[in-house]
Amino acid sequence: MNALWAIAMITFKEGIRNRAIFGILLLALLLAAANFFVSGMIMQEIGKVAVDIGLSSISFSGLMLVLFVGINLMAKDLDRRTIYMVLSRPISRYQYIYGKFFGMTLLVLASTALVSLFSLGAVALIKVGAQDFFPRFSWPSVFLAIVFITLMLILLTALTFLFASFTSTSFVTLILTVVSYLIGQSTSGVRTLVEAPNVVGIKVSAFTVKLVQGAYYLFPNLSLFDIKTQAAHGLPVGADYILWTFLYWLLYTTLAITFAALIFRRREFP
Amino acid sequence: MKSRLAACVILLALAAGLFCTLNFAASAHKNLPVDESGAYVLPAPLLKIASLEYSGLVSDLLFLRATVFYGGTMERVERPRVKDWEWHWMINLLDAASELDPYFYDLYYFANANISPAPGMLPAVNSMLEKGSRYRDWDWILPFYLGFNYYYQLQDNDKAVNFLMEGAKRPGAPTLLSTLAARLAYRGKRTENAILFLQEILRKTDDEDTQKVYKDRLGALIGIYQLEKAVALYRERFGALPLSLNDLLSQGIIQALPVDPYGGRFYLETDGSVKTTSNLVYAKDLNPEAEAK
Repeated sequence: MNALWAIAMITFKEGIRNRAIFGILLLALLLAAANFFVSGMIMQEIGKVAVDIGLSSISFSGLMLVLFVGINLMAKDLDRRTIYMVLSRPISRYQYIYGKFFGMTLLVLASTALVSLFSLGAVALIKVGAQDFFPRFSWPSVFLAIVFITLMLILLTALTFLFASFTSTSFVTLILTVVSYLIGQSTSGVRTLVEAPNVVGIKVSAFTVKLVQGAYYLFPNLSLFDIKTQAAHGLPVGADYILWTFLYWLLYTTLAITFAALIFRRREFP
Repeated sequence: MKSRLAACVILLALAAGLFCTLNFAASAHKNLPVDESGAYVLPAPLLKIASLEYSGLVSDLLFLRATVFYGGTMERVERPRVKDWEWHWMINLLDAASELDPYFYDLYYFANANISPAPGMLPAVNSMLEKGSRYRDWDWILPFYLGFNYYYQLQDNDKAVNFLMEGAKRPGAPTLLSTLAARLAYRGKRTENAILFLQEILRKTDDEDTQKVYKDRLGALIGIYQLEKAVALYRERFGALPLSLNDLLSQGIIQALPVDPYGGRFYLETDGSVKTTSNLVYAKDLNPEAEAK
């Protein structure tokens, strides 16, 4: 347990020291500033647009963190051969993978918290200036949306570990993760589309339908974690939805990281 | 020292060149031919997939695109100010945005104020408003807009009453909605009812540009209303309709003819109803041919 915690802390600190993280924070700050500009061009529902931009910038900068800092952290040990030093110590490969994953999770939590501070600060300031144009605004909905974004980012991190466990370079991991993200975000929309293609007047073969349905279960359904519209309009999100989505997240993440550990255990290093 | 000076001169020349080329390229870009094929907007289901988890944000951007474009047409000198396909493009943008985020109020607000007066655009605006009204089931203003459009523009009293009754049930709805619904059940008093509608819409409108749209419409209707009352008075007094609005002036029933904010001229139909040559459309929005008619 101690070894696991030690690896988690080392990973977290290494992530904080990574220069890329400053770039991501700068991006978040710029997006928060842009929020003032864009909301100023809206006539009525300023609150909705401010929340849209705030939440989108949180998830976008989180995505950048996972893709560019997370994958780098995982791959660095392999690329620079420092993994020999770690694995020669009394640490199992399971502990190594889980430790790294928890360290990365900590990093995602810390950076989401910081970016949220910027984004929500901007939203709060806009709200002070345009109180009347925030008719259905609710902080609990916004916080729930941020929790869901964080869950999505952690799931994506678990996927990067899975890909990194069998690919040889971090670039391939990056590509696979980006592809999974794109498929994960669109899978439920594409499934609806191919199951009722008449809506847009296209023809879809039976094979494509089967393929999409297969992808639907294989890839994570990331659109489940997108409740930005509900947050922006202060619409209710049912307790059952929260519960099922959380359980889905827990199972998918655990499966991904366990597979990663299993593959990593059998891996031979050159 | 000399080489440093040379470097400075070269850099300055390059910067000046950059400035010029940007301006030339941008103005040439403006003159690129744009036609109706540029008005294509992706079907909503595809747009939803393409916008990933940012559908709310994409909806905001589509809205801004439509409003910025509309704002840009204000400076045009050509007539009609906005071409037919451009109206369709704007409503398509707004409609796609409302598929991405059907709860976004600004889409309906903008479409109703600015696009519904354009020739032939009302059915599209109404179907958008009906969608918005279904989703925003807490909001009485969208059924209220629909009530006005069906009552005054399409003269479909039954539908208007239905929408007003629907709006009256929603939280915070003014009592005016149920009053109007009751009044519309009886025909007649068309102008007066429309004025009541518009005063309420104006009360819920806070940006100046949109206010102007509704104020002009209200001003024209008040003018028509005054003249209608004067015609009724004339008829009471002389037992016949006046031949033209000038009769009202010469008999001293009114002091002056009201001004149509749309730039038209009020006139009397043979059946005694008051109309305006502008037909409640700004002269600059009209086709030159239509105007000639």
